[in-house]
Amino acid sequence: MVSPQADPQLHPLADIDQVIHAPARLMVLTYLYVVESADYVFLIRLTGLTWGNLATHLAKLEEAGYIAINKEFKGKKPHTTISLTKQGRSAFREYKKSLQQVLDDLPD
Amino acid sequence: MSQKISLKGAERKVFSTAINDGLWDILLGCFFLIFALAPFLSTRLGDFWSSVVFLPFWLLVFLIVQWLRKHMVTPRVGVVKFGQARRTKLRKFAVVMLAVNVIVFIFGLVAAMSFGRVTGQIYTITLGLIFLIGFSVAAYFLDFNRLYFYGLLVGLSFLGGEWLWARGYASHHGFPITFGTTAGIMILVGLAVFVRLLRDNPAPIEEIPSEEA
Repeated sequence: MVSPQADPQLHPLADIDQVIHAPARLMVLTYLYVVESADYVFLIRLTGLTWGNLATHLAKLEEAGYIAINKEFKGKKPHTTISLTKQGRSAFREYKKSLQQVLDDLPD
Repeated sequence: MSQKISLKGAERKVFSTAINDGLWDILLGCFFLIFALAPFLSTRLGDFWSSVVFLPFWLLVFLIVQWLRKHMVTPRVGVVKFGQARRTKLRKFAVVMLAVNVIVFIFGLVAAMSFGRVTGQIYTITLGLIFLIGFSVAAYFLDFNRLYFYGLLVGLSFLGGEWLWARGYASHHGFPITFGTTAGIMILVGLAVFVRLLRDNPAPIEEIPSEEA
């Protein structure tokens, strides 16, 4: 965990969106950013996450308002599609920008 | 970690995951199988009927492929709606392919009207080039590199067939040999990709109802 008090140079790290910063969630958001929507199975296949793992990360992203989860039934089977919300899209853009900024500003 | 995260790369991966199931290869292979078999039938049935009898064959293959996609591929691969960038690219692709088809049609028309002045070889070589260009355009727009290889195979099938026929090594412009080989390669590649997809994803993933997830 970054301690901004410890080193002022690392202050910007504390501003990085922690919801997005987890590798699995970043991966999910990256894929959702380039599509309109995808279902659970497609995301599992792309990310290699397990069902439970993906569900946990999606719940966090949904809680933050970054994704919309649409549940429906195809015949008798449940079918869930996930898409990025406007807020999620702009949060992802912001995250990308701030991470780039932080890394660029770090001394060699 | 030294690899860059690229949004373009992610988008390409999404698209390739969605379409690389081997079934397109099988469909294409079956289409070019018609080129290999049609010359035999045309000597018995004539050009018109030899073309017509392949319609139900291709329709049957198409229906089988659709069935496989719905019941075997989609439960394993999932469903995705592409983003705006890909949809724009697909629209451009459709326009370019339409233009290529119009060129082929006009070329066919001109060749038919000036029959006798345009030799069979020139006709075949031009067709081979058009297919090569068409496939390359498709490979570029679809980010589907195998299509470059297929374009080369189809182009060479026209040229190689004509070469074999001119030297008396093969009948029917050599098409049964060259297009038979091309179609065989496409179908085999398709089958290999399809079988690998089924092997790597043995059981279709069933969605867990939300309360359990």
